[in-house]
Amino acid sequence: MHYINLILKRIFSSFFTLLIVSALIYGVLEILPGDVATRILGRAATPESLVILRAELGLDEPALNRYFSWLYNIFQGDFGNAMTSKRPIIDVLGPKIFNTMVLSGFAFLLYLPMAFITALVQAANKNRQIDNILSIVTLVILSLPDFIIGTIFLILFVVFIPILPVVSLVGEYTNFWEWVKALIMPAVTLALIMSVYAVRMLRDNLIEVLDSDYVLMARLKGLPKYKVLIKHALPNAITPTLNVTALNLGFLIGGVVIVEKVFTYPGFGSLLVDSIKFRDLPLVEATILIAAAFYVFANLLTDILSILFNPKLRKE
Amino acid sequence: MKLINKFIEIWKNSNLTFKIGFIILFLHIIVAITGPFWAPYHYAQMGVGKPLTGMSWAYPFGVDNLGRDVFSRVIHGSHMVISLSLLGTFIGLLIGAFTGLFSAYIGGWVDEIIQRINEALISIPFLVLGLLAILAAGPNLSGEPLLMSLAVAIVYAPRISRISRSAALDVITRDYVLVAKLRGENAFSIIWREILPNTSGTLLVEFAIRAGFAPILIGSFGYLGFGIRPPFPEWGSMINDNRNLIYMSPITVVGPAFALTSLVVSLNLFTEGLARTLGKSNKLID
Repeated sequence: MHYINLILKRIFSSFFTLLIVSALIYGVLEILPGDVATRILGRAATPESLVILRAELGLDEPALNRYFSWLYNIFQGDFGNAMTSKRPIIDVLGPKIFNTMVLSGFAFLLYLPMAFITALVQAANKNRQIDNILSIVTLVILSLPDFIIGTIFLILFVVFIPILPVVSLVGEYTNFWEWVKALIMPAVTLALIMSVYAVRMLRDNLIEVLDSDYVLMARLKGLPKYKVLIKHALPNAITPTLNVTALNLGFLIGGVVIVEKVFTYPGFGSLLVDSIKFRDLPLVEATILIAAAFYVFANLLTDILSILFNPKLRKE
Repeated sequence: MKLINKFIEIWKNSNLTFKIGFIILFLHIIVAITGPFWAPYHYAQMGVGKPLTGMSWAYPFGVDNLGRDVFSRVIHGSHMVISLSLLGTFIGLLIGAFTGLFSAYIGGWVDEIIQRINEALISIPFLVLGLLAILAAGPNLSGEPLLMSLAVAIVYAPRISRISRSAALDVITRDYVLVAKLRGENAFSIIWREILPNTSGTLLVEFAIRAGFAPILIGSFGYLGFGIRPPFPEWGSMINDNRNLIYMSPITVVGPAFALTSLVVSLNLFTEGLARTLGKSNKLID
């Protein structure tokens, strides 16, 4: 039963980390020297507008009180109201998070075959021409900034071969095909960014496994090469790659911010950037906290999975 | 001399990846240092050519909508991007190494607190953390070139701190640290004279890898519209500004994108090639 304790400990420390994150975000934005109202209104602030905004935000209360009531409301599922639109943040966030989940789901479906097929081809042809070429291609894509990959797609498929829309706006009235058309470029970009990491990891793992005795044994017993690769090598190389995939999930948020901005896709990432641009502090706090929560839970999930699947940890 | 000989030895043993990476990287550094002296125009000089006329010999990267020569801006940007990246990574390394080594040496609840804060900072996605820092700096500082370096430093510090802490934990158990303690040296001197020199390898590698990613980070800030205030040239902001011209004059976007891409790709080819060369012949590593 020891592993249940281990898992509970991890869950507790994840929550603790999030608590610190919330304090950091709130502290940095609201308590740091310099007045919140000035930060929101920017250089154009007049003394009168500052006074009005301060009263509206309840800034007369002590900072700690404000932090705890903010935190208390979040536990009740209430993030407060956005300042720019005056709507409840939950209502603003909901559809955007849905859009982003559609996008990342689509990207994830593309990611799996892209990562696995490339890595299998490379491992099967280790150190031959095709492996070297694919290695260099993945290295180049890996080192490209996300927004440049997106921009290359824009130039190719919007400017030179005009088949896809330059902005990927979707809403209530978009039909299925418009959704797909809008999603292709952002999803392919995201999948590409995520898969290059996994490909490099999985290739090395596969090659390592292929060098092992039991694979040699399987080869000597007369199994064809592709069968050895899929039946013996792949399952053993998958665990470290699962870790990369989970890390990718955390990485996904950063990628989503850039990719959604490149293709003007109305999702969580665009919302985050816009809220920062408009200095909508309640919305900034909520979106960053959710981004961090997503990362923390993705990590928690991998940890729990690796505890459950690792017999050594389980017995300990 | 010894360094040059060693370099020649590495060069002879190296593969194509390393050579290509090194040559492009070298060109970039030369351009960054000398560029401001020979760039055809000043980065803010307007009306040097007909706007949006596309590629030509006089204006290799075209002319933007304000009539500025994009090529000159890219050249000046090289200077800006590389120096801000190095500075930002260096500040991040200073903060990270100090907190990491300190927290490893002191241990106890100080260590616990510093590590918890690091963990919290790392769990905010790095790009978002950088944007948060830029937002927190307030409207008066926004657009300052140095703010980019600070944002990079804040993103890197917790990550470097965590790594230097684990490197230091290895060193702390050694006898020479114990001896220094018994000699009665204080914490600062032990960290400075015993722990730092013995973790410097790890820290240098960290610095190299992080510095290579800093141009992308600064470019991303610029692309999202939180970069250096115009008319200062920075590649990410230029791509963002010229995005609206993508139909009329795609080269104004391709130019800065090419500069950033060739820099980061050559850096990666260089480090990858170096790692392979050093791994292949162990005698090259002292």
